[in-house]
Amino acid sequence: MTASLTRQSFIAGLALSALAALPAVAQGAPKIGTPAPAFQAVDADGKPRSLAEFKGRTVILEWTNHDCPYVRKHYGSSTMQTLQKDMAREGIVWLSVISSPVGEQGHVDGAKAKELTASRDAAPTAVLLDPDSKVARAYGATTTPHMYIVDGQGRLAYMGAIDDKPSAGAASLAGAKSYIRQAVAEMKAGKPVSEASTRAYGCAVKYAPLS
Amino acid sequence: MREVRIGMGRAAGGIGLALLAMMLAPAAALAAESAAVTSPRVSATLLSSRDAVAPGERVQLALVQKIAPGWHTYWQNPGDSGEATRIEWELPDGYRAGPIAWPAPKALPVEPLVNYGFEGTVLLPVEIAVPETAKPGERLSLKAKATWLVCEKICIPEEGVFALDLPVAAQPLADAAAEARISAARAFLPQEAGFRASLSAAGEALTLALPGLPADAGKVHFFPVPDTLIDHAAPQPMTRRSEGATLQLARSSAFKIADSEIAGVVTFDQNGTQRALALSVAVDPALVGASASVSASPAVPRLPAPIEGADLTLWSALAFAFLGGLILNLMPCVLPVLFIKALGFAQLAQASRLEAREQGLLFLAGVVATFLLLAGLVIGLGALGSSVGWGFQLQSPPLVIALAVVMTLIGFNLLGAFEIGTSAAGIGSGLASRGGRLGAFMTGALAVVVATPCTAPFMGAAIGFAVTQPPALGLSVFAALALGFATPVVALSFSPGLLALLPRPGRWMLVMKQAFAFPMFATAIWLIWVASVQAGPSGVLAALVAVLAAGFVVWLLGISRGTGRLRPVPTLLAVLAMLGAGWFVAQSAVPGAGNEARAQDAQAWTPQRVAALQAKGTPVFVNFTAAWCITCLANERVALSRQEVKDAFAKLGIVYLKADWTNRDAMIAQALAEHGRAGVPLYLFYPGRSAAQAEILPQLLTPDSLIAAAERAAGREAKTAAFR
Repeated sequence: MTASLTRQSFIAGLALSALAALPAVAQGAPKIGTPAPAFQAVDADGKPRSLAEFKGRTVILEWTNHDCPYVRKHYGSSTMQTLQKDMAREGIVWLSVISSPVGEQGHVDGAKAKELTASRDAAPTAVLLDPDSKVARAYGATTTPHMYIVDGQGRLAYMGAIDDKPSAGAASLAGAKSYIRQAVAEMKAGKPVSEASTRAYGCAVKYAPLS
Repeated sequence: MREVRIGMGRAAGGIGLALLAMMLAPAAALAAESAAVTSPRVSATLLSSRDAVAPGERVQLALVQKIAPGWHTYWQNPGDSGEATRIEWELPDGYRAGPIAWPAPKALPVEPLVNYGFEGTVLLPVEIAVPETAKPGERLSLKAKATWLVCEKICIPEEGVFALDLPVAAQPLADAAAEARISAARAFLPQEAGFRASLSAAGEALTLALPGLPADAGKVHFFPVPDTLIDHAAPQPMTRRSEGATLQLARSSAFKIADSEIAGVVTFDQNGTQRALALSVAVDPALVGASASVSASPAVPRLPAPIEGADLTLWSALAFAFLGGLILNLMPCVLPVLFIKALGFAQLAQASRLEAREQGLLFLAGVVATFLLLAGLVIGLGALGSSVGWGFQLQSPPLVIALAVVMTLIGFNLLGAFEIGTSAAGIGSGLASRGGRLGAFMTGALAVVVATPCTAPFMGAAIGFAVTQPPALGLSVFAALALGFATPVVALSFSPGLLALLPRPGRWMLVMKQAFAFPMFATAIWLIWVASVQAGPSGVLAALVAVLAAGFVVWLLGISRGTGRLRPVPTLLAVLAMLGAGWFVAQSAVPGAGNEARAQDAQAWTPQRVAALQAKGTPVFVNFTAAWCITCLANERVALSRQEVKDAFAKLGIVYLKADWTNRDAMIAQALAEHGRAGVPLYLFYPGRSAAQAEILPQLLTPDSLIAAAERAAGREAKTAAFR
């Protein structure tokens, strides 16, 4: 009797700890207003980069996969490149993050990443290679594109969609509201970000299996 | 708790299997079903339960998606990524379409994300209300434009336009098989729950109360319709209550509820059967309007000063288009027309520089107007859902024949076989003579029309870019193309220096003029060959009869010239000959008749064939081509038909498929659009791996580049196999 009780409570304890652990994995997304997860990743030149090196500057993270139709919508129309250049002019750091592992759509090496930047006339500060999807897990990135803004104090100021038209069709770009431009404009004016967290849309981020 | 999700997958899979079994059972003729829109991933049709509809009734339709194994389409809330299927209806006045009655979705885990969608075959039912005022004898012609995203790990946006044309009758006429399929699908839709669910906050989490949930319900899963409610991937631990149960839900990182009443579906397992209930959920007022930003003091960062340095991006597309237009001048079908124009300037320069400039500008106007007209048609028809692409005008046999006639007449005109009076300032007259202002404009128009089959290497990407842009941007790319195309002639007309380079008019001009008759005849022969491919032997007959009639008409006009007025008899005869020939061409030159004649070494392309071959591990080469596409034919000569290429294909086990766009074909147009092209040529190498994406080859092929790509397609397959 005593033994079986102990076993039951042991199983219950296991189940509880599993319950506690699971949401922690699933809810990888950080919170608005809290410190953005620190990360380290190599860029397309093989140089190690980290969030810490941009302390004091606003940083935009863009999850990307050049073969995803939603990403192609934004690059094919030059909308993404224009946004990158406009943000660069504001002094904002732009990091494009590629989290696809080897063998999955969107995976690139440094040379290919540089070629993509050149051929698409893109203007990120750096392209980060995250083939083991560690940065993606830290931020809970779900889609390409998925956008995050980290403010000068290292706190998360925005996460979610790039605009309010969740469609792969190029026609949806007309009249779309850019959540990034809105957030940056509000941050510049010293106002709180009115829509700080939106539902990201696009292709699923191709995650590397947890090993 | 992970079990719950996996169990759910199995549960919904059971529903899918049951549906599939029911659908396969009645395999009778399906009269009331639209033509299928097919890709290697989805074959879709619009199904109607009625062969004839009655006034005042509600007709059951369904969009059917047959989804390839491993792929899925999405529910109304797609979950962590993806996009729901959408249908836009075009209905006659008075008819109304209801919303999609969504079947219960399946939770599709793509670690660590979860999507909500459908696998296998899914029917999306929709009701159409027929107005009381509909009269028997009328017809219900409806169109449904559906767009969906289909994903495996990679995602492809697809769309299709489905048309049904049903008679209105006093009594409805059911299509038994279709009705059975739709009824079966409707029977599996989530049923009204019969109780009210409620949602309240439990700290950071949410609690969903399901008071009417059967006590023996297992594997319970909640699917909310709003996509900003819950973390779709989080487990949903259940607690049984005295009445029903509660589910604990994790908030979405983009948490936001706009309404105090939201919809959702709860699925569960009861006595071994799968059930789905449609829920109406009352939301705790404290949650309504709340959003995910819980930070008490919002971040108010300072932005540093702007950095200088602007850039432009559309310009590169415009520059490419301009360059492409310039190169187009050198194409074999265009050069004669332009040379004649240049000859005209040589003559004109003697008389009046002003007139030469005027003609140059009129030529420019003709080029720009025609390019924009054609581009407007392509963009406009594309927006209306029609599957046309660049070069579409050459897909009409009567137009091809008309061009052949024009080429022949110009040829004979150049040879001096006849002169056309300036009063009949049609297409030919203004070509070389100095009088025709309309002629200069028409020369520009003609040059554009004959240039379209010669899509120059630089133009493919630019045109592909243009048709995916908003209309204004797209048209400006075409305008750049037109400017590039017209530049040499306009420059010639404006620059006295360039004109001075031309030798003085004399006998050489007559010789050159006559010599250029032969490229025109050659172009005519080519066009007649195109007509033969499109419409078979009767197309050739129609073309030759049209040439004969045109010659007769020109001769009649010639003999009545010089009298100062039109003679009634020859004029009447001329009109009769034109009408007769036009009627004959329209009757005989029917597209499609020549298709068998074009069966060649390559097999015909279908998306299913590509998918099937890939599934068998066979790499596939697809050649998107058309008889009227000079670049395509050149590539076939220079690279594709070379022995070393054939040998390499055979050695690597590559299957060669040909997609012939000589005649209009919606499936091919869709495939071109998927790869960002608006026209042919397009060359694709598919690795021999299920659903692997194709490599797009350049528009100019060489044997070496082709063999290298073939090795990549075959080699990539080997590498992937090694990864497994």
